[in-house]
Amino acid sequence: MTPSTRAEGACKNRKEELVQIGQPDPRAYWKSLEQLHGGQKPSAEFAKGLPSAAVTRTDDTRRDFLSLMGFTVAAAGLAACRAPVQQAIPMLVGSDQIVPGVSSWYATTCGGCPSSCSLLVKQRDGRPIKIEGNDRSVLFGGGTCATGQATVLSLYDGERLRGPAWKGQSADWRQIDRHVSESLAAAERSNREIVLLSGTITSPSMLEIVTDWSKRYSNFRHVVYDAISLSAMRAANEKSFGRKLIPHYWFDKARVIVGIEADFLGTWLSPVEFARQYAASRKPENGSSLHVQFEPGLSVTGSNADVRVPVAPSNLGAVAVALLRRIAQKAGMAGFPEGPEPLADSKKLDAVSEELWRHRGASLVVSGVQDESVQVVVNALNAFLGNIGKTVDTARPSLQRSGDDAAMAELVERMNRGEVHTLMLHGVNPGYDYADAGRFLQGLEKVTLSISFSDRRDETSSHAHVICPDHHFLEAWGDAEPVESHFSLAQPLIAPLFNTRAAQESLLMWLGNDTSHYSYLRSFWQKNMFPHQKEAASFDAFWDRSLQDGVVDFPAKSAAPAASFHGDWRAAASGIIDRQKQQPASREDSYELHLYESVAMRDGRSANNPWLLELPDPITKVTWANFAAVSPQLAQRLSLSNGDVIALKTENARAELPVFIQPGQENRTIALAVGYGRKQVGKAGNNVGQNVYPLAQVSNGFRRLSALNIALEKTGRRVDLAGTQTHFSMEGRPIALETTLADLSKESAAGEEHKATPTLWTEQPQGEHSWGMSIDMNACTGCSACVIACQAENNVPVVGKDQVQRVRIMHWIRIDHYYRGSEDNPVSLHQPMMCQHCGHAPCETVCPVLATTTSSEGINQQVYNRCVGTRYCANNCPYKVRRFNWYNYTENPKFDFNMNSPLGRLVLNPDVVVRTRGVMEKCSLCVQRIQLAKNIALQGKRELVDGDIKSACQQSCPTQAIAFGDLKDPNSRVSQLMKSQRYYQVLEELGTRPNVGYLKKVRGSAVI
Amino acid sequence: MSSTTIATPNATSNAPTGRTGTIILPPPAWVDGDTSLQQITNDIVRPMEARPGKGWWICFSLAFAAFLNLGGMVTYLIANGIGVWGLNNSVGWAFDITNFVFWIGIGHAGTLISAILLLFRQQWRTSINRSAEAMTIFAVMCAGLFPAIHMGRPWDIFFMFPYPNQRGPLWVNFRSPLVWDVFAITTYLTISLAFWYLGMIPDLATMRDRVTNRIRKFVFRVLSFGWNGSQRTWARYEVVSLVLAGLATPLVLSVHSIVSMDFATSLVPGWHTTIFPPYFVAGAIYSGFGMVLTLLILTRQTMHLERFITMRHLNMMAKVTMLTGMIVSYAYLTEFFGAWYGGNLYERYHFINRATGPYAWCFYLMVLCNVITPQVLWSKRIRGSVAALFVVSILVNIGMWFERFVIIVVSLHRAFLPSGWGMFYPTLIDVGVLVGAFGMFFTFFLLFIRFLPMIAIWEIKGVAQQQAHTLAVSAPDQTSAARA
Repeated sequence: MTPSTRAEGACKNRKEELVQIGQPDPRAYWKSLEQLHGGQKPSAEFAKGLPSAAVTRTDDTRRDFLSLMGFTVAAAGLAACRAPVQQAIPMLVGSDQIVPGVSSWYATTCGGCPSSCSLLVKQRDGRPIKIEGNDRSVLFGGGTCATGQATVLSLYDGERLRGPAWKGQSADWRQIDRHVSESLAAAERSNREIVLLSGTITSPSMLEIVTDWSKRYSNFRHVVYDAISLSAMRAANEKSFGRKLIPHYWFDKARVIVGIEADFLGTWLSPVEFARQYAASRKPENGSSLHVQFEPGLSVTGSNADVRVPVAPSNLGAVAVALLRRIAQKAGMAGFPEGPEPLADSKKLDAVSEELWRHRGASLVVSGVQDESVQVVVNALNAFLGNIGKTVDTARPSLQRSGDDAAMAELVERMNRGEVHTLMLHGVNPGYDYADAGRFLQGLEKVTLSISFSDRRDETSSHAHVICPDHHFLEAWGDAEPVESHFSLAQPLIAPLFNTRAAQESLLMWLGNDTSHYSYLRSFWQKNMFPHQKEAASFDAFWDRSLQDGVVDFPAKSAAPAASFHGDWRAAASGIIDRQKQQPASREDSYELHLYESVAMRDGRSANNPWLLELPDPITKVTWANFAAVSPQLAQRLSLSNGDVIALKTENARAELPVFIQPGQENRTIALAVGYGRKQVGKAGNNVGQNVYPLAQVSNGFRRLSALNIALEKTGRRVDLAGTQTHFSMEGRPIALETTLADLSKESAAGEEHKATPTLWTEQPQGEHSWGMSIDMNACTGCSACVIACQAENNVPVVGKDQVQRVRIMHWIRIDHYYRGSEDNPVSLHQPMMCQHCGHAPCETVCPVLATTTSSEGINQQVYNRCVGTRYCANNCPYKVRRFNWYNYTENPKFDFNMNSPLGRLVLNPDVVVRTRGVMEKCSLCVQRIQLAKNIALQGKRELVDGDIKSACQQSCPTQAIAFGDLKDPNSRVSQLMKSQRYYQVLEELGTRPNVGYLKKVRGSAVI
Repeated sequence: MSSTTIATPNATSNAPTGRTGTIILPPPAWVDGDTSLQQITNDIVRPMEARPGKGWWICFSLAFAAFLNLGGMVTYLIANGIGVWGLNNSVGWAFDITNFVFWIGIGHAGTLISAILLLFRQQWRTSINRSAEAMTIFAVMCAGLFPAIHMGRPWDIFFMFPYPNQRGPLWVNFRSPLVWDVFAITTYLTISLAFWYLGMIPDLATMRDRVTNRIRKFVFRVLSFGWNGSQRTWARYEVVSLVLAGLATPLVLSVHSIVSMDFATSLVPGWHTTIFPPYFVAGAIYSGFGMVLTLLILTRQTMHLERFITMRHLNMMAKVTMLTGMIVSYAYLTEFFGAWYGGNLYERYHFINRATGPYAWCFYLMVLCNVITPQVLWSKRIRGSVAALFVVSILVNIGMWFERFVIIVVSLHRAFLPSGWGMFYPTLIDVGVLVGAFGMFFTFFLLFIRFLPMIAIWEIKGVAQQQAHTLAVSAPDQTSAARA
């Protein structure tokens, strides 16, 4: 053996020793004990580079969903429990579903209102941070509304109860379950009732639980109460079609739409769905439909109508009758009761009925008037026009409102008589929004056990014996059936933040059924849904696919529509005429009241949501308050000006509100928004505005959102309203442009194309892409969903009423509202306005420190780190879209909204920096989304394609008014729109070369 | 100003005119009374050598209180953010930049008096140039305060300077008028300070020779750079003065032209106009003379310097004020004409709004102060009345402040899109900072008249009555003054 081989051998031996302890190569240094002991090598997982957003919905990444749902989502949720912990502790053993910094998307169903829109929710590092519409939904098509967008913030509401409470003291669930079970046993023995008082429940599985209850307890009753109910319509439809239903409407199939006080684009029934259909029917390329709206106050819907007629609430029925008289004549129906003409200009009604008749079968009359007779008349109109089964679908009715005013009134009486033993309150707050809240609360005192599922101590639950806080819908399993046979599933995005429990689980528990809500839901779907489909062989596959898609559609349960119209329209019409006659001649000093849901607050359930509180009303642009809208004429007659507080008195209620002079308001009617004036909702929403629910009049058992004979008196006080826009005239400037269908066809013949103004400067941008946006003002309804979507996406702070009054709102996108024509009934224009991303931006030349520049891809970008805050850019911006951080809006007790609490800050998007004080900010065209899409394309080794990138505003838009894309790609949607005859750029004569353009609003044919 | 003007005061008494038509110009005489050169020195340095009077103390305590208030206000401002001002997203500049332009404008009279009038050999400037220059420096200091505190992040003010850095090619934006401002103001302050200090050196030497206190003597010795009053020193001194005057002269025109470009190069209706540079320069001189009048009337009355700051001086300044006031009025008229003739929708609306909108009262106050007020100066009686001139000078100051307020706020509050319109309402902090800046200005000025010779002793001797020179037989040339 040579010395060298011996040495080798010794070496080998040593090597073997090392191998024994797990080291493969003696010369290599070990980095960790895991490595030393042959443990995992984390880098191997990312051999192909770091992963980006795993879009779990795409087919190629689909996994076995059993493991995904059964374990990992729960694990993901559990991991998310760490989020409220102040210190950032890296997870030692990570979930394989959560890649830090990578978002995943889960389909669920919105719980913001009973419309039950299908959603896709963005989850990032285990917490839901952004809500988007689910574009697989045939009903909602990817749009959302402002309220829906804002629900994600309600999840992180610090006012939510941390756990259950028994008689005001926090308790634990077992304790409560024991108490409740004992009490229920006592209730069963007694002769008194067990009542579940709920809002509209669209969840079929929950309705099944309710059915289980009625099977288990013979003295159980379920009462459905909606603050804004359509119970008169349901009652009328029972008389007209033999079934208590709310039809499903198809606005897209209608060539003539007549609305009689139904704000279907803003708040009524299912606004996201209707706005989408409406936009489809209003496309000028296909010859826009005609929309006539009769309404007392200017609503979002009225502001979009071709013809809008201000009508007092008491007169709306007469308008319907007058229309029916004309249609009945045309249809050859005899025996129509005579009555006076409701409008001074009866020719208008002639023309409307002429148009309706001309488009028989493709017209639609909808009314939101809470009056059985009016609804029967409207049904008759649709029936005579042949719309039933075409634009009015009774075969697949809408299940989005099932409240019953009469049942609720009866319940309140029974409670007061002491006939109710146990009352369970789910999704309702009658202590605030019931017409006679005092009487309800009196009755509540007499109930032996009252259980509330409310998430906070509100006006009702604070009087209940037990509060069993329900999950936020983003923490819960569930399903929904907004329209018959259209199903939508809901899944949790995060483990419950607090010690809450799904109401369904509580209900099951108290039934003695100890299955979890999740397994109940699954078995319900296995039993009721799975058999109806053929694609999936196993239930697991069906369940996984359904959860991924979020939506499941089945054919209608019954092929046959509800019975044809058989309502007594003559009696209904003469009833309305008689009532009209009996009405005392209106005195000079008595007025009518019109209550409406505002786009932001709706019925008041989200009243502690600072985003919604600060959302400018689409019409008045007022934030942080409700107000009394009066017509300019009335204001002049009573010498009222904006902000003067007036007192409004009905027989048994009184409210004091500041005046807002509203052009287009009916002269004798004062319009008030409900949903404000909550007393116990949380620090942001308490005492914002006035509660006007008590002013509503109840007639024939239905609560109408109106009142007659209102006395008005001036109080002499003044309150400053916080409006984000104070001047509504364009002053003759070419800003929001409009055209007519006739002009459009003339122009298209001329073939004129948009040309940019000449410039001496180099053309921008010089990069590979040129990001641009196009906004169709004809499609934009002003619904403001984009405003909240942008706020959620871009961490836009809430600044409070005082700052809004000081013209310091931070919204990156605003919707400008302009009027044209007479102030008695003006024409409205909505114009979304955000940074125009000018190629030759006036802001850029004046910035002394180059904090704002045009990117190589045409985005006007703001460099926060570099900004010193001279505000010169904002001064020089002709669009006034730049927003300055006057204070620190984060972690500042003076701005005690969501960004001042660690919980509220969980909603922040980690992709977007939170701006400090002293810097300028503005729309970035969602540059983080552009970057993400580029990364995904890069990793997929493919080119970016049009539609890969959707800005937050664009995604949320129910009418697809906003298009975003690459202007250098001639085939992109935005480039195509740029070639439209309607295309123009705002203030382009200044030579700013904006990358954001607009499509002119098209006014319908002037037949009326 | 023609030479006849200079001759006028003494034409009757001193100037012998021959029938042949040759006018023998009397020596310039801008000091009233028969005073010896020694007496002039004594009179001028009296405030520095005696204890200050009650008047000074009252003025100083008021000014110093306001100055302290400025300190508090600025601290509060920087601690909380500029949200404490009334500014908003529509009106991004208001009191801050109004004050800035106002103070920069004030400064211009000093430079005009000391540099341009020196070059034009206007000898009446000698009794006022020192305090006017001091005013310039203090005004520029006040002005410089505002761009600093108006920023959202004042601690990052160094971003505004093109200093070498490690941030790659990151540099200031040379296209931005705010960067031009940085250069204009720093240059202006440097030149003004140098000019002022240089002009004081012979007087500092005088002080050095007079004071007995050892510390003061030491200070003056250092400050006077070992001035010995030799012929060579004086010759070089005169040359340097002229060179500095030549350097400062273009600044009178350029600084405010550049300030006006903050507005003129933007596209805001009411700002975007080519008339701004000359209009602003005229306005600056107008407001500067207004301020010089205010200051000199005050010091003249309280410090008993009537002999040196004569009615003839006030008369001259009043005439300059009137002339520049009329140029400013003409500019106002031209703006309105341009708006009407130009046919620009936004421009036209702006000027209608200026005269009829919510801030119309500011506009009319400005017209009253800047258009109507200077017209009273046509009257010789008013030009001869100290009280009347004082009132006029105050009105000029108010008017010029409002001019800048009107230009800035009225233009911004209703610009292109009516949806972006918003009103500006000042807060207490806005007013506090405005008052505080005046406090700072007057504090410095009062300290100046207490500790430095507020009239150029060596220069004024050159324009004293002939008799003063005959009295000082031993040293008929003015250089002896320095040695005296």
